[in-house]
Amino acid sequence: MSDLNDLSDEDFRAEVRRFVEREYPAALRNPPQRLHWEQGRAWFETLRARGWVAPGWPRDYGGLGLSASKQIILIEEYERHGVARLPDHGIIMLGPLLIRFGTEEQRRRFLPRILAGEDIWCQGYSEPGAGSDLASLRTEAVLEGDHYVVNGQKIWTTLATDANWIFCLVRTDKGARKQEGISFLLIDMQSPGVTVRPIINLGLHDEFCEVFFDNVRVPRENLVGEPNKGWSMAKALLGFERIFLGSPRQSGYALARLKTLAERMGVFEEPEFQDRYTRLRMDLEDHKDLYETYVAVLRRGETLGPDVSMLKLHQAELFQRITELMLEIAGENAGLLEPMGGNRDLHPAGQFIEARPTTIYGGSSEIQRGILAKNVLELPG
Amino acid sequence: MSEVPQRESAEDRAESIRMIRDSAAGIAPRGGDRKRIRALRFREPGYDPAMLRQMGEQGWIGLRVPEERGGAGLGMSAFCALAEELGAALAPEPLVPAALSAALLAEAGAEEALAGLISGEALVLTAWQEAAGTLEAPGHAEAARLFIPQAAGASAFLVPVRENGALALRLLPREEAELLLEKTQDGGFYGTLNPRGGEVIARDVGEAMERALDEAALAAAAMLLGVMDQAFALTLEYLRTRHQFGKPIGSFQALQHRAADLKVQIALSRASIDAAAALLDRGAERAARRAAVSRAKARASDAAMLVTRQAIQLHGGIGYTDEADIGLYLRKAMVLANGFGPASLHRRRFAAEAREEEA
Repeated sequence: MSDLNDLSDEDFRAEVRRFVEREYPAALRNPPQRLHWEQGRAWFETLRARGWVAPGWPRDYGGLGLSASKQIILIEEYERHGVARLPDHGIIMLGPLLIRFGTEEQRRRFLPRILAGEDIWCQGYSEPGAGSDLASLRTEAVLEGDHYVVNGQKIWTTLATDANWIFCLVRTDKGARKQEGISFLLIDMQSPGVTVRPIINLGLHDEFCEVFFDNVRVPRENLVGEPNKGWSMAKALLGFERIFLGSPRQSGYALARLKTLAERMGVFEEPEFQDRYTRLRMDLEDHKDLYETYVAVLRRGETLGPDVSMLKLHQAELFQRITELMLEIAGENAGLLEPMGGNRDLHPAGQFIEARPTTIYGGSSEIQRGILAKNVLELPG
Repeated sequence: MSEVPQRESAEDRAESIRMIRDSAAGIAPRGGDRKRIRALRFREPGYDPAMLRQMGEQGWIGLRVPEERGGAGLGMSAFCALAEELGAALAPEPLVPAALSAALLAEAGAEEALAGLISGEALVLTAWQEAAGTLEAPGHAEAARLFIPQAAGASAFLVPVRENGALALRLLPREEAELLLEKTQDGGFYGTLNPRGGEVIARDVGEAMERALDEAALAAAAMLLGVMDQAFALTLEYLRTRHQFGKPIGSFQALQHRAADLKVQIALSRASIDAAAALLDRGAERAARRAAVSRAKARASDAAMLVTRQAIQLHGGIGYTDEADIGLYLRKAMVLANGFGPASLHRRRFAAEAREEEA
């Protein structure tokens, strides 16, 4: 394969666009919730056949070795076309972590199976008592001979029902300061003592799960990096991906649906609606400009600072405001469980509910504001 | 419904409201019966007919119907207190729509149908609505009637139809009705009705319809008050008990201030609803009535959405699960906030009706 990095940005963008327009299944465009593995499998196989499963991994490990700016273009084009996210924690999170912190043996063992779609990974970070305060996690791994014995519980594990492996932050030193006693452990979900329970969310879908560990024995070689260094490894990995939580895609798509709904309800031309709609449009355009300034940072090869919290904060709240206006103009349709007249683009209640968790997951708005106040503005306290 | 102002003293009124709240708490306790709500939701008819009968036995469906017609003859202050309790309890039984029909049947002098309805044995629902987000019954003979709450359990429909320049009322038995059902977020069913057929039981209910819809809008505001108040109570409890970073999250000032802001909105809603109910009980002019009802419903709709949204946010991840009860309050608010007129419609009505000193 020729090196895609040699293409100009424009040529690369055109290449990606042609690819998704030709190959991406139309029925899977802009799904209202995360796809299960089986639903997205055909698309995965398409990516695999083309060698595009892992755009960010080095070519030595079967990735495309794309530069940050090319990866951004790829994701922009996927978003533009409404390409769904697959259960991709192995590709996005674990792969880069093993490449950076794992042993060569761990890389050779796990990476090819991710690329082949043989292992589906999920992420075990949050716990019932450790959400915003993640470092207080209590799932414990105690070394007994050649095995760690794991006990505890994870929650908000996306698509755990689809996964056969889970990477976890576990406590390996109860005596240390809370960030310093945490290790990064890879657990085969078929091990005795692992139980998965799906959680039905407000949208009545089952994308989150709880995962329970009851005396689960994990071979010692499944620990990544040094013991008790898991926290800093996981944190180091929160790299340029953070920008995507602030992507204008969700709000842009919601705004288009707001317009469709307003036309259907016959209020689109009303001055009061126009004023509010225009305000949201301008918010979105300003957001895109702000987003571009962060993209430019990455293009220059620089790293993102804590101020990137602004993007996620503003995007999530803009998305919510758009869907709140949908409810206001929809009349009694705002209370319907299903889309209006079976038209997925006319589902104000569904969009409104879908927007609720965006200010909670990936660092709640309260946490993002705290980061801005403390780490950016350097306010006391 | 009677235009005669209530003559009972303030003490009598306070006492009857207290009794209503007590009996409501006995049957549908605030927040105490969410298992019942979950068992009933998304399954036809979406509520418990036995519970509706019990509400009939308590005299709640005919609470506003004059005593000489078999009702309890109580005022809007009492009815709003009841509606608030039922909102707080998330009761899916269609008390407010049933009371709306009771008012019209009383006006029409349809004794038999009225008796069946207020006993809770039969559910007569008024199919007045022809478009989303309205509070008027135009009575077009051919227009489909929309958003009939809890229509899956109806035994008959009241269909207002404009005839000879007046709004006539037809009674359409369920067996003859062409009805489509759609699930609602709170677990109930909206009905869409083909309005044809039925028998005319009254020639001119225009004024009664307008008044009954105003009363239903105010009662819906009171239900929203109960919904937001109970959602807020659950949220305060969570703020006190959920710990992160080594302390209750309710000790963080940002969350304290947000809770304080929500409290202000709930207090404004209650004040507005109480004042509107008292005004109606004193026998207000049409314009004053419409302005007061609209002010209360606009406030309650917006405040209930704000409070229940923030209730989810303040619960964090667990708030986004279906198994957490707080989401039931959000879903109820999503249905009630736009029922009997969304906030925008009520703001327009207020602007049109309110005298300057009220504005």
